[in-house]
Amino acid sequence: MPDLTTEWLGLSLRSPLVVAASPVSRDAEAAAAAVRAGAGAVILPSLFEEELIAEELALHRLLDAEDDRDAESGSLLPPVVVTAAGPYLAHLRALAARLDVPVIASLNGVTPGGWTDHAAALEAAGAAAIELNLYEVATDPDEPGDAVEARQAEVVRAVVAAVRVPVTVKIGPSYASVPAFLRRIEAAGARGATLFNRFWQPDVDPAALSVARKLDLSDPRELPLRLHGLALAAPWTRLSLGCTGGVWTGEDAVKAILCGAQVVQVASALLQHGPGRVGAILAELRDWLAAHGHASPAEIRGLLARHPGRDPAAWERLNYIRMLGSWQPPPGWR
Amino acid sequence: MPKDRSVPDAASRDMLDANEAVARVAYRLSDVVAIYPITPASPMGEHADAWAASQRPNLWGSVPEVVEMQSEGGAAGAIHGALQGGALTTSFTASQGLLLMLPDLYKIAGELNAFCLHVAARSIATHALSIFCDHSDVMAARGTGMAILASSSVQEAQDLAAIAHAATLESRVPVLHVFDGFRTSHEITDIAPLPDEALSALVSAEAIAAHRARALDPDRPVLRGTSQNPDAFFQSREAAEPFHAAFSSVLARVMTRFADITGRAYAPFAYAGHPEAERVLIAMGSGADGIQATAEYLAARGERVGALKVRLFRPFDAEALLAALPSTVNAIAVLDRCKEPGAIGEPLLQEVTTTLAGAVMRGARASLPLVIGGRYGLGGKEFTPAMAKAAFDNLAAAAPKHRFTLGIRDDVAGSSLPWDPAFDIEPPDVRRAVFFGLGSDGTVSANKASIRLIGARAGLHAQAYFEYDSRKAGSTTVSHLRFGPEPIRAPWRIAAASFVAIHDAGLIERRDPLALAEPGATVLLNTPLQPAEVFASLPREMQESLIAKGCRLFAVDAQRVAREAGLGGRISPVMQACFFALGDILPREAAMGALREDIAARWRMRGAEVVRRNLAALDAALAALAEVPLPATPAGARSRPPAVPAEAPDFVQRVTRLLLEGRGDDLPVSAFPPDGTWPTGTSRFEKRALAQHIPVWQPDLCVQCNRCTMICPHAAIRAKAYDPAALAFAPEGFRSVPEAFTPELEGLRYTVQVAPEDCTGCGLCIEVCPGRDRRAPERRALMPEPLARHRDAERSAFAFFETLPETPSLPADHRSLGFRTPLFEFSGACAGCGETPYIQALTRLFGDRLVIANATGCSSIYGGNLPTTPFAKDAAGRGPAWSNSLFEDNAEFGLGLTIATDRTARAARDALAACAPRLPPALVEGLLSTPGNEAWIAAQRARVAELVRLLGSDATPEAARLAALAPQLVPRSVWIVGGDGWAYDIGFGGLDHVLAGTRPVKVLVLDTEVYSNTGGQQSKATPLGAAAKFASAGKASGKKDLGLLAMAYGHVYVAQIALQARPGHAIEALIEAGRHPGPALVIAHSPCIAHGYDLRQSPHQQRRAIESGAWPLYRFDPGRVARGEAPLVLDQAELPLDLGDYMQEEARFRLVAAQSPERYAELLRAARAGVRRRHALYRQLAAIHLPAEGGDA
Repeated sequence: MPDLTTEWLGLSLRSPLVVAASPVSRDAEAAAAAVRAGAGAVILPSLFEEELIAEELALHRLLDAEDDRDAESGSLLPPVVVTAAGPYLAHLRALAARLDVPVIASLNGVTPGGWTDHAAALEAAGAAAIELNLYEVATDPDEPGDAVEARQAEVVRAVVAAVRVPVTVKIGPSYASVPAFLRRIEAAGARGATLFNRFWQPDVDPAALSVARKLDLSDPRELPLRLHGLALAAPWTRLSLGCTGGVWTGEDAVKAILCGAQVVQVASALLQHGPGRVGAILAELRDWLAAHGHASPAEIRGLLARHPGRDPAAWERLNYIRMLGSWQPPPGWR
Repeated sequence: MPKDRSVPDAASRDMLDANEAVARVAYRLSDVVAIYPITPASPMGEHADAWAASQRPNLWGSVPEVVEMQSEGGAAGAIHGALQGGALTTSFTASQGLLLMLPDLYKIAGELNAFCLHVAARSIATHALSIFCDHSDVMAARGTGMAILASSSVQEAQDLAAIAHAATLESRVPVLHVFDGFRTSHEITDIAPLPDEALSALVSAEAIAAHRARALDPDRPVLRGTSQNPDAFFQSREAAEPFHAAFSSVLARVMTRFADITGRAYAPFAYAGHPEAERVLIAMGSGADGIQATAEYLAARGERVGALKVRLFRPFDAEALLAALPSTVNAIAVLDRCKEPGAIGEPLLQEVTTTLAGAVMRGARASLPLVIGGRYGLGGKEFTPAMAKAAFDNLAAAAPKHRFTLGIRDDVAGSSLPWDPAFDIEPPDVRRAVFFGLGSDGTVSANKASIRLIGARAGLHAQAYFEYDSRKAGSTTVSHLRFGPEPIRAPWRIAAASFVAIHDAGLIERRDPLALAEPGATVLLNTPLQPAEVFASLPREMQESLIAKGCRLFAVDAQRVAREAGLGGRISPVMQACFFALGDILPREAAMGALREDIAARWRMRGAEVVRRNLAALDAALAALAEVPLPATPAGARSRPPAVPAEAPDFVQRVTRLLLEGRGDDLPVSAFPPDGTWPTGTSRFEKRALAQHIPVWQPDLCVQCNRCTMICPHAAIRAKAYDPAALAFAPEGFRSVPEAFTPELEGLRYTVQVAPEDCTGCGLCIEVCPGRDRRAPERRALMPEPLARHRDAERSAFAFFETLPETPSLPADHRSLGFRTPLFEFSGACAGCGETPYIQALTRLFGDRLVIANATGCSSIYGGNLPTTPFAKDAAGRGPAWSNSLFEDNAEFGLGLTIATDRTARAARDALAACAPRLPPALVEGLLSTPGNEAWIAAQRARVAELVRLLGSDATPEAARLAALAPQLVPRSVWIVGGDGWAYDIGFGGLDHVLAGTRPVKVLVLDTEVYSNTGGQQSKATPLGAAAKFASAGKASGKKDLGLLAMAYGHVYVAQIALQARPGHAIEALIEAGRHPGPALVIAHSPCIAHGYDLRQSPHQQRRAIESGAWPLYRFDPGRVARGEAPLVLDQAELPLDLGDYMQEEARFRLVAAQSPERYAELLRAARAGVRRRHALYRQLAAIHLPAEGGDA
């Protein structure tokens, strides 16, 4: 029986399957069920920079906006002490106390500022690590890519400086050089990186003449992009790598580990099938390892990553040329 | 109070108002706190509730039970019970609240229960309600058997609170501890606090044990509350006399102990002034501090005057009074802060006179000094040293005026004494600053923070007092701050300040803030103008004052600074920074350093970003602050615009104008009607111009739905359809389009018009407007545009619009009603108010024959609070007649109005019958026909006119009687209107009673689900899961189903409506309610600022309330039973939205989640279950079929 114990960010996990920042981890019962089914860690949903600031300012505005309006009502809301991050911290505290696996808090933001101070509060509330999510929608035509990356690295540095627990960074695929950026955040003190963020693309509602929000679950077809990113980074980086996006089965997990992932994060599969799905994915992983004679995931980690001398072209431009060349038209095309 | 001349040590002084200081004592000395909110005592209960919620223990380590009751009567019953159960019990109240407690207070005192009730003294409503101070409430309780102990300052209020608790335990005589509402209850000043050890040393453990031992206990059974016959009652009543007789000595003993513990000595009577005074004033409460300060000032200048402060009024200790009074006195004026019409003298005068007469009779005094009485300070009227001096001068006059009044000009009875406003006793080292702000703009709370900072950092004694007007939108606040090296003893407003800050530039167009500036004062103005432009922009009167007084003027664009610092419209940090820079409190660098530290500490819990932005605002404020150069002579000739227009009627010119200008104190007695009757329709003469942006109509996009005019809380946007010929005199730019949606109005023009100076800028009309430009979706038929740019054009357009003829009458529905002119307009309600659209709808439906009985609350404040009145008249001079009786009695009051109205109508019909033989039979038949719809009403009015015309030629007494009664042949529509606090809580008993009867009372409940007017306390209408005061962790019980209770009677029409989201349904229900032959109850969902979201979103949020089941929409019409239908129609049959999606939009729910996500989840689950249960019940009720009356089933 293969041993699924995994080292990640200096933490010892019972399995490489991690509940991703998602509605699953927002629900304490669901998170607990996923852990019962064998999840190695739980990452809480992101505390967003904008949300934090908006919530701070909204509370600041709402709590006493109506105070001293007239002689009779000095105030309208009860004088309770609440903070913008309070509910998140309470959830984190409760989950960290309840679960016997590491609970990781997630911060989401891309501009340096007062919000990064919250990392320390997350640590104090029991976070075993911080996942910093650099979800960026670049909109400023005057800010070149290098400036964007420098700003993001600054954010990483600020969060790392604020805590003693390890910080892992979740990035998107849209960097001119993902490996160079990984090196940059490693230099900024990050201990891990998770590939890749999913880009939520707003839709358009022609009837209402408005922009519509919709959230689709991930799709296994999104996995290859992650595999590619992992394979390029794994051979040289000292960052603990995680894979997120498109992992639905044990076989998906095997693929990610083969490409260098220490952990694989799941969310959509659990949203679709329930938190107990963790058990099935782990069973599939375990069966695959056993069937192929491996004692642990560590044995296969990075086997298919881009090692010089092990057909590096499989992950490079040459592969692109080969792929295009191999295309066959479907029957009846043209 | 003994003078404390030491420089305050921040660590040993607390900056508090009396409400908090007293509550701190009462809370620590109690097991049970039973309360009901009432201004100005509410904050005491709120403090107690907040402390209990945070598990703060009392002196003995346990957290007191704080219970909010349904009325003060209920609170008093709970208190009585708790006392009989052996609990140390306290409560807080005022005014009508104290009156509602009276029956229990007699019981509590009669049974010698140790109990202390703290009263923030307030007027009792007579010809009008007043929330401000006088002693009419306290004096109404003087016969209860309670001891009455009065405090004159914040320090005294704290100290005497502790003394009162200790004394009642030792004496068994319950104590009413009194301090002046607002003047003391809300004055913030630095005081020496009472630590736990002091309280422990003060209260007697034996007395507490004895109190507990008297508890009702089946192990030691006794019986209390017997019914006694003539053979026993009298003696039994006298048996308690020794306890009352001993109270004064017990009190003296406790006061001595208190002095030993704290160094602060008190006595039942305190004298100050010349030791051999000849003239003495006697008073109680904060006014006594004013007269003592005046007496000391005059005595120091050689006048033989003194002042006696009465602390113990009941039991009245005659010996102590005589001992405290200098033997040299030969003239005394007793000042009472109440009026007892018809009495030989007010209560304090009577006690003093009787005491002195008794002393002469017993030979204790050789002769009786001159004793006269005066009244002062009723309804919070200002009382100053100048008035005290006038009273002293009166005593020295050859023929002193008896029963005089102070502080008013009585040109009716001639009672008033003149005073010299220039007389000033304040020491030169006291610095004074006044701040004119807008209600809820943060000025008041910033000033509270400022004086705490000044006290702590500048080592100064400080005092803050805040004046408010009574409007809920755009109200003016005036903050009065004093600070200096000596304790501040000045319970009166600042008349001359060295610093005057004007936080709202609009104010200088309405009143003269420089009236409070002393020569050489620094004036700070918040204005968007550049410094070089500021002076020329000011009204000439202000320019002249600035120059004549030698002021220095500074300007800052606080809105811009706050906006750029990311604080939105929150200007107070900017203005506070400027005050610290200019206010000469500390050296500038030190002042800024202190302010920075204070900002960091004050906002730390709000988050780093909040701190950062406030600090950024401080820096930017200093950079933006600039001195405005003053020329030697005024520039420009623009005068301050008149407060009311020239065309306003005489009463508005004479009276309303002065009230609006802040000069109401100058009005003489003769200006006022003697019985509180007031003209309606005066709000239209006050042009407040509060909005930054107003809706401007884009006719090309309008779909003519009239939703804008139906939802506007202030009736500031109107619609009409009219003959095109009327446009002949239209001003340039007046817009109209062909009326396109109503066949009956074909050929007419249609206009939507804003009243630009009455709009509050809430944006609701824009939010509900469905008219969109398909090519530019952001463009709507109503667009927000800057008032400044459109004010003149839209003002002319609105003036013309008002001259247009009324839209031809159409059957009433939610669209056609929008054409009718509302007879409720431009009220002082909050921007975005969710209540007022319902009242407007009532006036559009029934306005020219509407009578309203209005419960006290928000609706009575925006409906009937001076200076202006929003209920209006139509072109024929008809309109709603309105009255507010009390909070608790409104249903009964409305029933009385209904009965009387019915009787008058019957008398009219009888008179018609008597004259019928002389009148055309068809006319008589028509006049007596069964009332019907609006067409019938119009026809009836025509018949009445014809009747009156015919009677004009009939000289008989019967004809005269009929002519007088004829208008009553048009049926009146009496509506009982009030909030949920009234209907669900304090007035429920009465409401239930009138609904149970058969009289056709019509009730409209404006349900905001919380006590909005007194500041957000929970009511039984508060929904499960909402945070409110007294439910700060989230209300755990469900909302009372008032509608279902009324349905249970079977004959009551009941509806729940929501006009912002479902106007059609709401109007239909109001029409049905009006038509129903029996009682009707309409419960109206009323979005309120207390819910904690931007009310511009209220139509959407109300839709969520309906679709999630939080607000079931239904009509229960007993008339349907006869038609074989189920009486209940569920007008929202399905609930497509989860309750959580509704709740998460409002701060009152989110505050619960912010405190504890687990509790929120638990309450949400319970709330969902409650909604499902109620919905299931309603669905079943909507399917039942009842046998019709008289049927065979």
